[in-house]
Amino acid sequence: MEDRQLVRLAQEGSPTAFEELVAKYQSKVFSMALSFTRNREAADDLAQEVFLKAYLALPRFHGKSEFGTWLYRISINHIKDYLRKKGRAKEVSLDDVQEIAFSDKEQTERTEQERETEARRTLVQRFVQGLPEKYRVIVTLRDIQGLAYEQISQALHLSPGTVDSRLHRARRMLRKKLAPYLLREGGANEL
Amino acid sequence: MNCKKTEKRILRSLDGRLDGRSAGLLLKHLEACPSCRKAETEYRSMLALLRDGKDAAPLPRFWERLEPRLREGREIAPFLFWEKWNLRAIPAFLAIVAVAGAALIFTPQASELTASEALLLENRSPLTETQAIFDAEKPETRNMMLIFASLEEKTSARRPTP
Repeated sequence: MEDRQLVRLAQEGSPTAFEELVAKYQSKVFSMALSFTRNREAADDLAQEVFLKAYLALPRFHGKSEFGTWLYRISINHIKDYLRKKGRAKEVSLDDVQEIAFSDKEQTERTEQERETEARRTLVQRFVQGLPEKYRVIVTLRDIQGLAYEQISQALHLSPGTVDSRLHRARRMLRKKLAPYLLREGGANEL
Repeated sequence: MNCKKTEKRILRSLDGRLDGRSAGLLLKHLEACPSCRKAETEYRSMLALLRDGKDAAPLPRFWERLEPRLREGREIAPFLFWEKWNLRAIPAFLAIVAVAGAALIFTPQASELTASEALLLENRSPLTETQAIFDAEKPETRNMMLIFASLEEKTSARRPTP
């Protein structure tokens, strides 16, 4: 079923419709929270709170934007509030960034390759975390979450031109930091 | 094309947002410029790393943990669920008020009649009372009647006001 129909049913009080929407977006919202907090428990809590907020605000959603974009907007604002309360809204130094904490059980369940992929991702995301907030948000939404420019523009209430220029600057900063670890002509540098 | 413009075009190209003509110019520049070629490789690799991660799964039983919170939230703010319907009711309410207002404005109101209008409405002449005076045969009687009539309390029905 399409988001529009699910939203309409959820607005009419159907819990199963909202459950479907949660199932569809929970990983995206969780990943976004994780990329900002670098802590699975905190990201899980944030994702739960985002869905609770969205559920209570659902009667005021009139479908002017897509449900996903609206949900991302709520997520970004909520995560920003959380970081502000935690005193981490200012630029985060690389030393402050925590590794993603996995439980022992989760750790053993993961294969070697998965661990390697995770290590790479963690390193890259460490550098992303080191960016100033306005650039970090854009890179997270575009390059990690894969949102379209239009969606980012709507979610952040920024003009497409601003999104474009901020993303360009953010990528330049990241490339500078990541240069020693990046691939050279088809080969992989050690991470 | 200079190297600064090329960097922008590289990123647009990696985003799939470069038109055919610009893509051609970019390729031409990359063939001739080793530093831009290096930049292109690094950007490609960096974006691949960033996009590498699939969506991470939240902790187990996400919905089971969320559902009671939603129920609790709904109990705290039940009116929010009716907000949508309340908003829809506003135009209907305004339409009813407009119709009722129009009905009040265009319905003819019973206006107050002057005394002579009331008499005329009852098919009576306003001169009927004075006619008896003029009909009196004796001048004394007529004079006395005129005096008494002038002393009588002024009533709106006696004479029409001009």
